[in-house]
Amino acid sequence: MSDPELATIALVGNPNTGKTTLFNALCGARARTANFPGSTVDHHLGQCTIAGAPLEVIDLPGIYSLALDLPESVLCAECIDGRLGTVPDAVVLVLDATNLVRNLQFASTVLRRGLPCVIALTMTDAARSAGLVLDPSSLARDLGVPVVEASGRTGIGLAALATAAHDIATRQAPPIPAAPCPAAEPGTAACADWAAGVFERAGGRTVRAAADPLTERLDRAFTHPVGGLAAFALTMGLLFTSIFWLASYPMDALDAVFGWLAGLVHDVVPAGLAADLLADGIVGGIGATVVFLPQIALLFFLLALLEDTGYLARAALSLDRTMRRFGLPGQAFLPLLSSHACALPGIMSTRLIPGRRDRLATILCAPFMSCTARIPVYVLLCGLLFAGEPWKAGLAFVGCYALGIVAGLGTAWLLRRTILAGDGRAMVMELPPYRRPSLRSAFHVARDRSQLFLRNAATVILAISVVMWWLSAFPKVEPSRESVALRQVAEASIAAGDEARATELAAAADAMDAQTQARGSFAARVGDLVQPAFEPLGLDRQLTMAVLTSFLAREVFVNTVAIQVQSSDDVADPGTMESMRAATRDDGSPLFAPATCAALLVFYVLAMQCLPTLVLTAREAGGWRWALLQLGWMSSLAWVAGAIAFRLVAA
Amino acid sequence: MTTPTPPIRIPLTQLAPGRRATVECSALDGLPEDDRCLLTAMGLGERCEVRLCRRGHACIVQVDTTRLGIDEQVAARIMVTPIDDAS
Repeated sequence: MSDPELATIALVGNPNTGKTTLFNALCGARARTANFPGSTVDHHLGQCTIAGAPLEVIDLPGIYSLALDLPESVLCAECIDGRLGTVPDAVVLVLDATNLVRNLQFASTVLRRGLPCVIALTMTDAARSAGLVLDPSSLARDLGVPVVEASGRTGIGLAALATAAHDIATRQAPPIPAAPCPAAEPGTAACADWAAGVFERAGGRTVRAAADPLTERLDRAFTHPVGGLAAFALTMGLLFTSIFWLASYPMDALDAVFGWLAGLVHDVVPAGLAADLLADGIVGGIGATVVFLPQIALLFFLLALLEDTGYLARAALSLDRTMRRFGLPGQAFLPLLSSHACALPGIMSTRLIPGRRDRLATILCAPFMSCTARIPVYVLLCGLLFAGEPWKAGLAFVGCYALGIVAGLGTAWLLRRTILAGDGRAMVMELPPYRRPSLRSAFHVARDRSQLFLRNAATVILAISVVMWWLSAFPKVEPSRESVALRQVAEASIAAGDEARATELAAAADAMDAQTQARGSFAARVGDLVQPAFEPLGLDRQLTMAVLTSFLAREVFVNTVAIQVQSSDDVADPGTMESMRAATRDDGSPLFAPATCAALLVFYVLAMQCLPTLVLTAREAGGWRWALLQLGWMSSLAWVAGAIAFRLVAA
Repeated sequence: MTTPTPPIRIPLTQLAPGRRATVECSALDGLPEDDRCLLTAMGLGERCEVRLCRRGHACIVQVDTTRLGIDEQVAARIMVTPIDDAS
């Protein structure tokens, strides 16, 4: 992971001490999110240059203690102790001057580990505003390590901190701090007395912190049983409206870019296997996923801003009681709400949830929330089910969302009483002070999350896209006699000077060829093989194939069906809806009978038809067994509920 | 001669909002180990002084300059001795 030639320092500290702001200021753009092998907890890795020499910086997650049974605490302890293969050459302990007594107790446990250490004293400007002026040299005497005042926001003391850290990390025989505190455990009276003594000798005085009237008023409003929920609904409404509105422009642009790239490949690369693989398999496969990047980047940017203001902690606190009824913590609400835009950012934002069981339950139920990719399928099927009855179609559309929420929360409830049984972590959280958010920090968060998402798209999703393309592109099938005849007529039209007609006929022939290829492909053979399994849902061979091809992404269902029933893939075109309504099966019966529409609708609400989500679940949950469990449970539930819907409507 | 009255110990949730109290030495003993360790690491340790800011399904307490949100069930198991604000 790290270069053994580089000196490495690790930033360690309590949450909300300005540690990551320091890291961003030190490393800037040369930073990335990383994981130690076998760990799902992120840390940041970056480099800075001190006097021409590079220094590797690890920003470990903010923790309250090295001894807690929390993934973040375990990771920090293992990193500092060198159990992850990377022993930092020095530790930079980040201590918040406004909360020094507690921070010193944490520091004592880190200093006990016997690693070369430098202390970065942050938030000194806020401490001064509160009338607290601390003497770093006194702290250094008591703790036996250099102490530097530093601020990532203003840049003050940054160079001095970097130089001190580099100096101590590259010394042949760095000074090893002695254990300064007589008590090993923070929080004990002996440790608190020691910390208070160090604090007072440095010029601090223990005063009763006065209640800040504004903080008191805001906390009362944001955690009020009714007002708090209303404030949350309003905030999230504004957040997601902004995301839908702002992200739609770059998403459309990305869609156009990938479409243009696919066209370019077909223009430049000679027609054949390589062109098809590049354009349809690689560009098409990656494009279908990367098009969601603006939504993800924007969501994390806005969430980071919101978190930085101190509001999100209050929101989680006020939602905790409601979510506990389903075995989920208050922090789960946000990922579940995000999943209505797309399950990918929703699952990624489960990192806000501290308990592993709580987090796993949220990851596993998040894909039940109806994402935007389901909308085209809902529009098509509700329209077919209730043709000419818009209010009934609208009600069915809302019902799909409700069914997804019920299934998701029910799944969470079930999980927490079976395989994820056990007490959830009781809500105990720090409420950070209200403050102006940092745009730079929010940008770094958005960049990190986007990089993670892109790395995922460029590896596993790319590989599976190519496999799916191959299954639908092979074996090559000869064009049908009708298609050949159409092309001959098109050529004749060109000769007659009717180019418009020729283009129309060529497009029809292309669609016919695509349909012929789709029917003869390996995917279709699998469809034929699997069709009996979908018989209880009323699906024939064509619809089974559409369901199978949409395993990659749900929205593909609409395109596949559109291609199968006619030449256009534009389902918004009323003509197309009409042709779908008129489409028939091999035996002449309607393709979209009401019972089949209802079964498909229920199936698509509940089924895990999204490959990127599956891949991300495996990554975030810490193994493919969780992803496979999610796939198995959602598919089974979708199949059973779909079959029931078919029977009920057909009766 | 009068016998000094032993200090009153009450659950944190019974403290009036705005009042201060001291967390007793054994006050966290009734909590699950994970919660006890986390609270201690967050600054709510033995003999520390707290102020109850808000009472309800989630309590908000202030410890030094830190505000903590604590589930009502956890808060109900933290025993504190109210401090006379005149002292």
